[in-house]
Amino acid sequence: MKRSVFNPTGLAVFAALLLAWQFVSRSSGDLQSYLPPPSRVFEALLQPQVARALWENLWQTLARFAGGYLIAAALAIAFGVALGYSRYAYSFSEVVIELLRPMPSVAIIPVAILCLGIGDAMVIAVTVYAAAWPILLNAIDGVRNIDPTLINTGRTFGLGRLRILRDVALPAAAPYIATGLRVSLPIALILVTTAEMVAGVNGLGYFILDEERALHPENMYAGIAVVALLGYALNRIFVAVEERALAWREGLRISEAA
Amino acid sequence: MKGVSKLNGVLTLILALALWETTARAGLANPLLFPAMSRILTSFAALIGSGEIPAQILTSLRRAAAGYFLAAAVFIPLGVAMGLFDRVYRALAIVIEALRPIPPPVVIPVAMLFFGLDDAMKIFVIFFSCAWPILLNTIDGVRSVDRVLVDTARTFGLARVKTILHVVLPAAAPQIATGLRISLSITLILVVISEMVGSSDGIGYFILNAQRRLKIDQMYAGMIALALLGYILNQAFLFLSKRLLHGR
Repeated sequence: MKRSVFNPTGLAVFAALLLAWQFVSRSSGDLQSYLPPPSRVFEALLQPQVARALWENLWQTLARFAGGYLIAAALAIAFGVALGYSRYAYSFSEVVIELLRPMPSVAIIPVAILCLGIGDAMVIAVTVYAAAWPILLNAIDGVRNIDPTLINTGRTFGLGRLRILRDVALPAAAPYIATGLRVSLPIALILVTTAEMVAGVNGLGYFILDEERALHPENMYAGIAVVALLGYALNRIFVAVEERALAWREGLRISEAA
Repeated sequence: MKGVSKLNGVLTLILALALWETTARAGLANPLLFPAMSRILTSFAALIGSGEIPAQILTSLRRAAAGYFLAAAVFIPLGVAMGLFDRVYRALAIVIEALRPIPPPVVIPVAMLFFGLDDAMKIFVIFFSCAWPILLNTIDGVRSVDRVLVDTARTFGLARVKTILHVVLPAAAPQIATGLRISLSITLILVVISEMVGSSDGIGYFILNAQRRLKIDQMYAGMIALALLGYILNQAFLFLSKRLLHGR
């Protein structure tokens, strides 16, 4: 996928689209009420009042995202490794998992509003619920695909069940778990912004919807730009952390090949 | 083992449902949050019988299908073009990189400005959110097609369009199917979200509205219907793709 980073054609197309947007929007006052020119969106970003509101809402969204995502990761990895390791434990949860999984996770929002009211706890709860699925299923798969020799070797050396789970199964399943964590990242952001839109009093999702209702489209687009940057940054951070954390696997692959 | 495993699972489920039912009946759980399971199922049956839930599901399904197929019709050809021709890929790469990190639900307010609360709003949101899985998987699938296959077809004088239709597309089909499958679940999520944020019908609206009117049994009934819908759509997709990709 990655060629040279510098892509003049791509930049030219991007710039041309922005310019076209600018001119088309400038030419019609009617159009500006829902598609203000990019220059005005940029001005909005620089306006102290809007910038401050965006900054505060950004942190609220980020905190909820981090809370939900990390809790989901901790729970799903723990349960996933255990359920992947023990077919007996899995047999009890299989039907419940199969029943809950096909339901689009956002449908849980009304239940969460009912139980937790409107606020951080509700947003975090729905994020945990939605983000946990890909991690859980990948962790189960990952542990199941471990070479049995690895686990048997651990047993031969007298490792207890907990230590096998922690020191053998967890690292061996790490690449699968990483896949689950990557899939969950955008899902968590989707759930945070959705919950903020459906029942929020702050956060970027709320800000964007609120500015639309207040007929400030330039602020709305500014909010979307900020949330897109957030999504982009989170993805980059994830890739960097993943490369570091799984660097040992490259070594393993090379030694296996040798 | 398989039979035992299913039995354990079903037993757990029955136990959980029984626990729900008895705590609700004994008044241990807040009836406003957790009405008895029997009441939820009765209300589910009643809402199916009265045609209320089927009508809402059909409304949602119509929107979902329109957005989903529109996205497939636009982004599969675009992905093929981008996968085959590096020029097209490089020209659009930056625009795509700029739009892709936008979480789809925040596109809803934009769509509301342009389309109001009409069906077009939901269809556009679904179209936008399905774009990336379909596009990126198609590009990847087309790129991984064996060059020898394409060159052979060209050597035998197959025209470019025919080469794409009869060689490239079938070879890339499994990965395109992956993109379509991911998009299917995204479609369902986005139709529900867009109905929760800006709609007066559809299953997403029905569930949220039931909660707001404190018809909690109806809320859970709607969720059951939604889970069933998700299950059926996924199974139908698997069945169809197995049929169509037979022999691959």
